[in-house]
Amino acid sequence: MSEDALNNIRTRRVVREMSDEPVSREQIETILEAARWAPSGGNLRPIRFVVIEDEETRRLIRLVSPGMFQKAPALILLCLNEDVMIEHSLPASDRALLIDVGTAAQTIMLAAHGIGLASGPVTSYSKAAISVILNLPDSYSPEMFICIGHKAESTRRGMKTWKKITWRDLTHWERFPQD
Amino acid sequence: MSENWVLKEDEAIELLALLITSARIQMDEPAHYAPMRLLTATERLSDAIVKRASKKSRQFLQGNIERIPELRMTMSDVDAYAAGLDGLCRDVAQCLLEHSSLGEDAS
Repeated sequence: MSEDALNNIRTRRVVREMSDEPVSREQIETILEAARWAPSGGNLRPIRFVVIEDEETRRLIRLVSPGMFQKAPALILLCLNEDVMIEHSLPASDRALLIDVGTAAQTIMLAAHGIGLASGPVTSYSKAAISVILNLPDSYSPEMFICIGHKAESTRRGMKTWKKITWRDLTHWERFPQD
Repeated sequence: MSENWVLKEDEAIELLALLITSARIQMDEPAHYAPMRLLTATERLSDAIVKRASKKSRQFLQGNIERIPELRMTMSDVDAYAAGLDGLCRDVAQCLLEHSSLGEDAS
């Protein structure tokens, strides 16, 4: 892996406040093209992307999304397509499906960061309300929003200082010892 | 207490949407997120009414509600979070007193 790629991973942050500066269609398409390369269990590709740029639709989404602090100029909604799940006999409870959501989400956020954009995931919203606002097909289950935009210059919310965590804090080598 | 209208119908419906959806998502979220959701609703209500509020109310909103983002940052420290919320409760109680017929005694 190149140093550029590693640096992109290290410097990406979740951004909760964004400016009004727009994001171009070309930038969104670049991100979506990257997202299509995200690993998918069995290469089944159950994720579908719904992009929302329209201002009024974004406003309504925010109203039913208590966890969406960002006023992002673009939203990418990651949906699980239940038609794909039925086709491959995957139960909705299959946790591997959520791994696909995670790999797609991380790929989107890294791609956004790679082209100089900010991003932030949101899962705290009413799925039922989002389905109504976006008129989602019954087979689409809205699993996660990724807000895309530009980081606000001055942020009202101060950044919390987190305890520094290294990979060593998170890793155990080989077998665990017997009790 | 002032009888001025400070919230438009659309703003009230928007706040209602936030409260209803917060109630639903709270069933899937950690219990300690509940105060955060209520504080988010508090902030949005404050944002909606601050321009039309009386001078006295505006002073309360600007002096206290704007502290909420900072307060949210202490969420992982339960004691500090509770102390911050207690402070907010005291301030809103003081605001209520000042709006009431007891106001002159309270200020």
